[in-house]
Amino acid sequence: MVGIVSYGTYIPRYRVKLADIARAWNKDPNEVVRSLGIEEKSVPGVDEDAVTIALEAAQCAIADKHIDALFVGSESHPYAVNPTSTIVGELLGQGNNYLAVDLEFACKAATAGMQAIAGLVAAGQIQYGMAIGTDIAQSKPHDLLEYTSAAAGAAYLMGNTGVIAELVSYTSYSSDTPDFWRRDGIRFPTHAGRFTGEPAYFAHVLGSSHHLLEQGKIKPTDIDYCVFHMPNARFPREVSKRLGFTSEQLAPSLIVDHIGNPYSASSLLGLAAVLDNAKPGQTIFMASYGSGAGSDAFLWKVTSEISKIKYQKSKMKERVSDQIAKKTYVDYVGYLKQTHKI
Amino acid sequence: MIGKAGKIISWTIVRVPPANFGFQAPYPVVIVELYGGDRIPAQLVDYVPEHLKFGQKVLTVVRKTIQSDIDDVIPYGIKVKPV
Amino acid sequence: MNIFITGAATTIFGELWGVSPRALAKEAVGGALADAGISAKNIQALFVGNMLSGMLGGQEHLGAFFAEELGLGVAAFKVEGACASGALALHNAINSVLSGQYETVCVLGVEKMTDHKPEDVATALMGAGSEAERLSGATFPGLYALLARVHMEKFGTTEEDMAAVAVKNHYHASLNPNAQFRSILTVEKVMKSSRVADPLKLLDCSPISDGAAAVIVSRKKGVQIAASVVATDTLGLAQRKSLIELKATREAAQKAYKHAGITPKDIDIAEVHDCFTIAEILAMEDLGFYKKGEAARAVGKTKKLVINTSGGLKGCGHPVGATGIKQVVELVDQLRGRAGRRQVVGANVGLAHNVGGSGATAVIHILKK
Repeated sequence: MVGIVSYGTYIPRYRVKLADIARAWNKDPNEVVRSLGIEEKSVPGVDEDAVTIALEAAQCAIADKHIDALFVGSESHPYAVNPTSTIVGELLGQGNNYLAVDLEFACKAATAGMQAIAGLVAAGQIQYGMAIGTDIAQSKPHDLLEYTSAAAGAAYLMGNTGVIAELVSYTSYSSDTPDFWRRDGIRFPTHAGRFTGEPAYFAHVLGSSHHLLEQGKIKPTDIDYCVFHMPNARFPREVSKRLGFTSEQLAPSLIVDHIGNPYSASSLLGLAAVLDNAKPGQTIFMASYGSGAGSDAFLWKVTSEISKIKYQKSKMKERVSDQIAKKTYVDYVGYLKQTHKI
Repeated sequence: MIGKAGKIISWTIVRVPPANFGFQAPYPVVIVELYGGDRIPAQLVDYVPEHLKFGQKVLTVVRKTIQSDIDDVIPYGIKVKPV
Repeated sequence: MNIFITGAATTIFGELWGVSPRALAKEAVGGALADAGISAKNIQALFVGNMLSGMLGGQEHLGAFFAEELGLGVAAFKVEGACASGALALHNAINSVLSGQYETVCVLGVEKMTDHKPEDVATALMGAGSEAERLSGATFPGLYALLARVHMEKFGTTEEDMAAVAVKNHYHASLNPNAQFRSILTVEKVMKSSRVADPLKLLDCSPISDGAAAVIVSRKKGVQIAASVVATDTLGLAQRKSLIELKATREAAQKAYKHAGITPKDIDIAEVHDCFTIAEILAMEDLGFYKKGEAARAVGKTKKLVINTSGGLKGCGHPVGATGIKQVVELVDQLRGRAGRRQVVGANVGLAHNVGGSGATAVIHILKK
């Protein structure tokens, strides 16, 4: 049985209100909040980056195991050339005998890593592998993305012993669809407006999801929870409805409502929020999305091993809900300073 | 050194930073006594003013330290945050 | 000890934009030689105390640099110990004469700091501390602020107590034609000055200064050097045994009193290392003048003892490498009765206290008339 052995998440404690951003640009704050369905987003500290955030998440997930493979997915790797995974691996005290891989695929870099690790575990090549999604998402000031681009990290330790959520099945859907990109050497990404909707997000999430449902011969009514990549508050709700899931099945995963879109950590944080409350035997449907474009879909089944982790996380206040609640507000100027725009 | 707990035994707020700390100023610098006896100086992050007190419990974390040149290796180091 | 200061001189201290290190050295050494009634050819070795010539000026090898400038083709050394460089140079000079290898030597303390951006100077001064302190962004004022915080918590020392040190030293400096600052301060002005590293404010801190001072050391009769002691403590504050004292000061002072055959009560005048106001309060205690925790109340109210007649580092200025020598020059002037309006009548025994970094090095010299 291959699956998740433990998981850890980290959300930087700072938040900026979307209304403050809107006011700075003479937009109607109420209109912005209403249309995006989000009130505030997470902001990294001035000295945080994808490495430090990955490390925080990984520390909560490592459970004293030695990692044989470490995959770090981000679209804000601190170096254009130099691996994030080896810095995180070193700081985690992993020694030298492990595979370190850096991944990039917009917001689905880390979920691709999970599929690769699942393969290595199933093949018996490794005992434990960790996939980390970490981002301090960048956006140009006054751009629409500025309202949702957030920062967070999520780490998943996978293996075949002590599994808390079995990986029942998985699929992936890929195509050449340039809906959101950043050229080498350019500081901020560009997005293609409404093209990021139907031909991009929806086509690919529906593509991987339909394939997974068909492959497993299951229906949304057979499943307990669903998690989708959350670029804003509307898209996951819409795609969930189209697939036939109910809002109750989706609700526990909607971290976007509280912290915005932390790119590579988005669906992984959603999954963590569900796992924090899931009971043994329950199933979780998850589909990520990465611009460019692709979607990785997973079906997880929670085991009885989850009880111990749930208790620990609750006691240590390491659940996603605890981290969402731990917050300090900064104003728009503070946000610009902390994201190094001024 | 990461994730170690300790308490503050002195603090200051540096308001006139040196050349490579400009972007973080003003910032608190504290002396922490780690459980186990070792003492370290460190920058305090993710704090509110109430945290600058004798005995405040802190945890060590990894953060970017000095502002390096644009083509330098990124310097990471130990800082502390209140718990 | 049979060893004396036979000549002493300083330049003015301040923001000397138009004066080069060479010119500063020439003026100080020329003055010391003239005071000793000798010329350059009588000098057998040159000791230079300086901290920042390399980091700020790109020039190391100062022994050779100044030996050439001063026309001294003799054994020449740079001695460095952060802000204690001057006194350390003097200590080495004394030992070189005591060893018998040299008869008459010149000690020059010199520093040129004002030509650089303040943030670059701040960075350079952090070289006096530990690497961990540098990576924490602990500036030099930051380190002494950490000490002040503990002293305030433990003994109830207040920011006003510390301000009184600045007020007193500026008053003394107003009487010193070589001092950087000539204006009177009030406690209120100090309290209102901008914060540098809480609780230390701008007027709690000694300034960035240029300047030079020089002395001639020999066996010929002059002002007697009764003790020259160096003590070392850990580089970083976090490794100190105690944060309420500078142990190096205490240890060096105790040894120095013993060597000189005196007690703290015998000291008439003391030039102590007030790089920050709290440092003078710590010095008053660690030098044995006051019990630990009791000096704050006594600032400006000492009975016989007068501290920092030159204006101290705060009022006279602190060209880092020059300070240790300037302190000795001030004592010499006092003991010789030529301190002008700053003269302490009946001064017989003086103590100079020079500290490197946040207390990793302490050097004590005791001079007798």
